[in-house]
Amino acid sequence: MEQKYRLNRLETTRMIGPMVDQHWKELRTAKERGEKVAWCSGPLFIFPYAMGMKCHFMAGYSAYCAGRGAGDQVLEVAEAEGELRETCSYHRMHMGMAAAIKKGIPIKEEVILPLPDLLIIGRLCPEMSHYAEALYRQMGIRVVGIDSPPPRRAEDVLPLEKYFENQIKEVLIPTMEEVCGKPFDYDRMSEILRILKETALLRNECWEYFKCKPSPWTLWDYGVSIAPVFYLMGKPEGIPYYQRLKEELAERAKNKIGAILPEEKYRIYWDGWLPWAFLGKFIRKFVPYGAVPLVGKYPWEFFPHPETIDPEDPLGTFVKQVYSNGGLARANAPEMSLPLLEKWIDEYSLDGLVMFSSKTCRMWNLGHPDIIKRIERSKGIPGVVIEGDMVDSQMISESQIETRLQALFEMIEARRS
Amino acid sequence: MASFVAGVDVGSLCTKTVILNSNGSIVSYNIIRSGSFYKGAAETSYTSALKKAGLQPDDIDYIVSTGYGRTRVPFRDVELTEIFCHARGAKKFFPEVQTIIDIGGQDSKVIHVNDNGDPIRFVMNDKCAAGTGRFLEVMAAGLGVELDEMSELASRAQKEVEVSSMCTVFAESEIISLLADECEKADIAAAIYRAIARRITGLVGQLGLKEKVVMTGGVAKSAGVVHALEERLNTRILVADEPQINGAYGAAQIALEKHLRHYCRSCKKS
Repeated sequence: MEQKYRLNRLETTRMIGPMVDQHWKELRTAKERGEKVAWCSGPLFIFPYAMGMKCHFMAGYSAYCAGRGAGDQVLEVAEAEGELRETCSYHRMHMGMAAAIKKGIPIKEEVILPLPDLLIIGRLCPEMSHYAEALYRQMGIRVVGIDSPPPRRAEDVLPLEKYFENQIKEVLIPTMEEVCGKPFDYDRMSEILRILKETALLRNECWEYFKCKPSPWTLWDYGVSIAPVFYLMGKPEGIPYYQRLKEELAERAKNKIGAILPEEKYRIYWDGWLPWAFLGKFIRKFVPYGAVPLVGKYPWEFFPHPETIDPEDPLGTFVKQVYSNGGLARANAPEMSLPLLEKWIDEYSLDGLVMFSSKTCRMWNLGHPDIIKRIERSKGIPGVVIEGDMVDSQMISESQIETRLQALFEMIEARRS
Repeated sequence: MASFVAGVDVGSLCTKTVILNSNGSIVSYNIIRSGSFYKGAAETSYTSALKKAGLQPDDIDYIVSTGYGRTRVPFRDVELTEIFCHARGAKKFFPEVQTIIDIGGQDSKVIHVNDNGDPIRFVMNDKCAAGTGRFLEVMAAGLGVELDEMSELASRAQKEVEVSSMCTVFAESEIISLLADECEKADIAAAIYRAIARRITGLVGQLGLKEKVVMTGGVAKSAGVVHALEERLNTRILVADEPQINGAYGAAQIALEKHLRHYCRSCKKS
């Protein structure tokens, strides 16, 4: 490698750390203030937030834990409790933390959360159900499971949306009312949606800067900025954050300053989970080649069409954000996700695909090899599968990842020449 | 112009160096165990290959390193992945190749290659050693035979037994159990080869089989593995005389291309 590349970090993303820390601090101390606590997976935390509960989010917690250097520690507790190493690392992370609380096993204090009054499981995968059941068995915590099956065809969307809505109306909301001892607060839900809409609209304006050449930011920057439209949903601080981020991106775009200096060489699509605990480690494998991970389906799928949010119809608009107007349930639907990817390859001038296959989340990675084949045929760009995990360092082989990424860049280069 | 170039392939088990003259012909090569000190292995292998060719370091115009330890070669001009180098090497050995099966010490891969000898897609094993050279070494040790005796041993198999696990540790336990059940070593050796072939067939299936198929890497020296794969894939597999140097040979071929390109540019300027 003759050219030396370096990462040109954004200033604004440094602001996200204190916001996230504040969230987890408030959650840790919620019981001291007599507040109720929910643990949540999927996008369902808007419901406990509407009821004034403090709420944690599985992936967010796992990233936070790993960021505090406690990921492996908590996973070790889970393993010692008999959790299988091959099962979902998010599941193990929570089982480890719960076991540490129950048995007084020392783990870093800042990652200990209060056990919840309610566990809300958005059953996007079977392991989330097992996780809820295991916590119920061990802690006796009340569980509500909400299914959001992915549609296979466009015609499936409306019936599945109705099914999703009915579960919320008939199961989730009555349970929340019972647990909290008060009627569901639709007004607060509307307020959260109003803030979410404004925040996500700004976020989408930022996303458009991925089209710039060079791109002023990376998918990693987008990933670390995701909390305000997700588990910090409804907090007004997200709005100035994205305003400032947009200004910084606009300034860079105007001056043609990229996220990779001195020049951007390869523009890469990233599929699958973001490796939350290893964002730094992974980006350092792209930068030496002048490669920049840009768009990705998973981080995109959270409220991609905020312009359709109608805060006056909170429940109706929310279910549509997951189905008709959303990305979350549709992102893995075969007839809908491939055309989207093909469109992105053109719109964002992508050179190659990285399919991130999580060793402990096989379900989400099943289609990777055939997506690479299909895209190569239709768009003529190469792709590779790399293996790792969101949080479990035991599942990462650095040299194998480096070889696969370097081979991808070599294949792109060979096609150029 | 008496010009020479080199390819150095630092694999997880063995390090290989190939030196080519300006016609692209091999003037010497060397294969040694990598051990735990890759930089030292690269230097030893390279120095030995130079000596064998009667050359000095100054005689070498361009060096490409590849393999697991490709970044540990301080005297390299460029480093490239083994995927790229195996593709180029196999294409030079067998211009009709479209699919390469490379089984090295700690990984196995299947590569589709285009007419230029560039890889167009590839798949690799995941991060366990199943179906690799290391797997075979452990199995040979489990059987209590030398690695190079296994093919001949397997050719004498009479009865079909099965080694079902591809986890190196579990498969070794299975072998110990089969030996305890007084199964013949020859039958077990053949079963090990079939197990590897099953694994590799899965990788080939992910890309699709395109003939002609070339096998490279140290494991290609094992006639038993090649035979088991040919049966399983129902195709003839081409193997070079010394398949283990294919990566280093490809690296050297790329070194030659790069050097000639640079040389031509320099000529034009002057």
